[in-house]
Amino acid sequence: MSARRIYFVVSILVLAALPWLIATPYWRGILVLCAMNVLLALSLNLVIGYTGQLNLGQSAFFGIGAYVSTILVKSYGWNFWLAAVAAVGAAGLLGLALAAFAVRLRGHYLAIASLGFAVITYQVLVNWENVTQGVRGIYGIMPPFSHPAALFYLVAGIAVLVYVLIDNLVRSPVGDSLRAIREDEVSAASLGINRALWKAFAFCVGAAIAGLAGCFYPGFVGTLVPDAFNIVESFTMMAMVIVGGMGTMIGPVLGAIVLTFLPELLRGFGELRLMIYGIALTLVVLFMPGGMVQAWMALRARLR
Amino acid sequence: MILRAKEISKSFGGVRAVHNVSIAVPENSIFALIGPNGAGKSTLLNLLSGIYQPDAGSLHLEETNLIGLPAHRRVRLGMARTFQKIRLFRQLTLLENVLAGFHIHQDAPFWEYLVYGDTGRFREEARSLLAFVGLEARSGERAGALPYGQQRMLEIARALATRPRLFMLDEPAAGLNAAEVDFLLKRLEQIGRQGVTVLVVEHNMDLVMNVAHRVFVMDHGEPLFEGTPREVQHDPAVIAAYLGGEFAS
Repeated sequence: MSARRIYFVVSILVLAALPWLIATPYWRGILVLCAMNVLLALSLNLVIGYTGQLNLGQSAFFGIGAYVSTILVKSYGWNFWLAAVAAVGAAGLLGLALAAFAVRLRGHYLAIASLGFAVITYQVLVNWENVTQGVRGIYGIMPPFSHPAALFYLVAGIAVLVYVLIDNLVRSPVGDSLRAIREDEVSAASLGINRALWKAFAFCVGAAIAGLAGCFYPGFVGTLVPDAFNIVESFTMMAMVIVGGMGTMIGPVLGAIVLTFLPELLRGFGELRLMIYGIALTLVVLFMPGGMVQAWMALRARLR
Repeated sequence: MILRAKEISKSFGGVRAVHNVSIAVPENSIFALIGPNGAGKSTLLNLLSGIYQPDAGSLHLEETNLIGLPAHRRVRLGMARTFQKIRLFRQLTLLENVLAGFHIHQDAPFWEYLVYGDTGRFREEARSLLAFVGLEARSGERAGALPYGQQRMLEIARALATRPRLFMLDEPAAGLNAAEVDFLLKRLEQIGRQGVTVLVVEHNMDLVMNVAHRVFVMDHGEPLFEGTPREVQHDPAVIAAYLGGEFAS
């Protein structure tokens, strides 16, 4: 068995055991949240890490997924799974809309445009009260499975599936093309790579995955308010990707796990919590810009 | 003629970078484009490869009209190029750089990528291209870590991966030492012998005089002379353009 297979089987076993090792309802909830964050980090990493597009609008797609699926279920009586498919489609389409900017803008300009996109989406969620209930929020949302372990298995299972598919994709010729665009767009075009097409592809898939994560969020929390999709969420996702290691597969997963549990573990410090969190983030960016993956590589190189 | 440009022009602001240039590149030839700094050679190459679109004029690859066609579409017609200022994928390995060059030849259905990931297709061909430019031993290293001369050769290997019929090189000898220029020269001849038409913008006169079948001279964005290397060397207008007006008699 190859090392890849062994890692895969071990992680599946760990995932299967987790809800039973961590039995308190609160921490089981954190586990579900963690799986959701892994999905979000994976989605953003495809756009930022592999395609090199500085996208600060990912919270919008997360929100679209949550709102579209919830409204279809609550107001129109749709089946959850059908609603989820529609929500993923809606998020993917909006991803294409943002890609229209990405085709024309680069670097900081794209960052500002995508940030604006997230702000607009948030404002729509707040102000379109007929549909979204605005800041009053939507209450009494049921998860697809009421048992917390079952919900964790569902979201974690999807995260594993998405991980495997993206992992295959980035090792395939598609990954070569995306990385080529990240490294040098003019050069990529000189090899016949249609950068507009592949950027749109990355944005669309990234948005759809974030939308998918969004489908599970409202049922898990039970309520839905626009503040959950504030632009700060975009930065949290970005932090997960960077802390773990941009442009690697395992990095964003580690980043999502650490940045989900770290704030919880720091709760004992009260108000100091956010400060410690912030300092830790700053230190990572300053001293290991390649994130935990880079730190691990450096450590391994030194031990050899 | 594989490539034919008729009276193409390109201005930037008020500057006429290329003005009324007509050029016809015969198939299976090594065609050199020379001229003093600022003559518009690189602009012309950017027009041919689709990085810029001309303000006026016509442009054909055999029977295909190239006007309005973006750079990435021209690659599918069999046009490849390298850059004067090297543009490698610096964070990727040498092998990954060359593999990216096979993009237009990847025709497996999308689901295969999702299910199998790396199919290993073109890997052998990529390695042999690296061997062709003398870099097979370093295939796992990052492109950005290569010495300058080898970066130029890697860019050539990457462009060849598109399997061009017309290969355009923008000053491939710039910054190379004598041994590297010699190696490049041999490789260009070999590429030419394999039925690829080579169009090379170059400053290095040794290289031009040794490999080119025909030479096209530009000055101030306009065509100045065209002929065999021997004819070019003895043309008073060309000598004047290179050495300055006072030597012209």
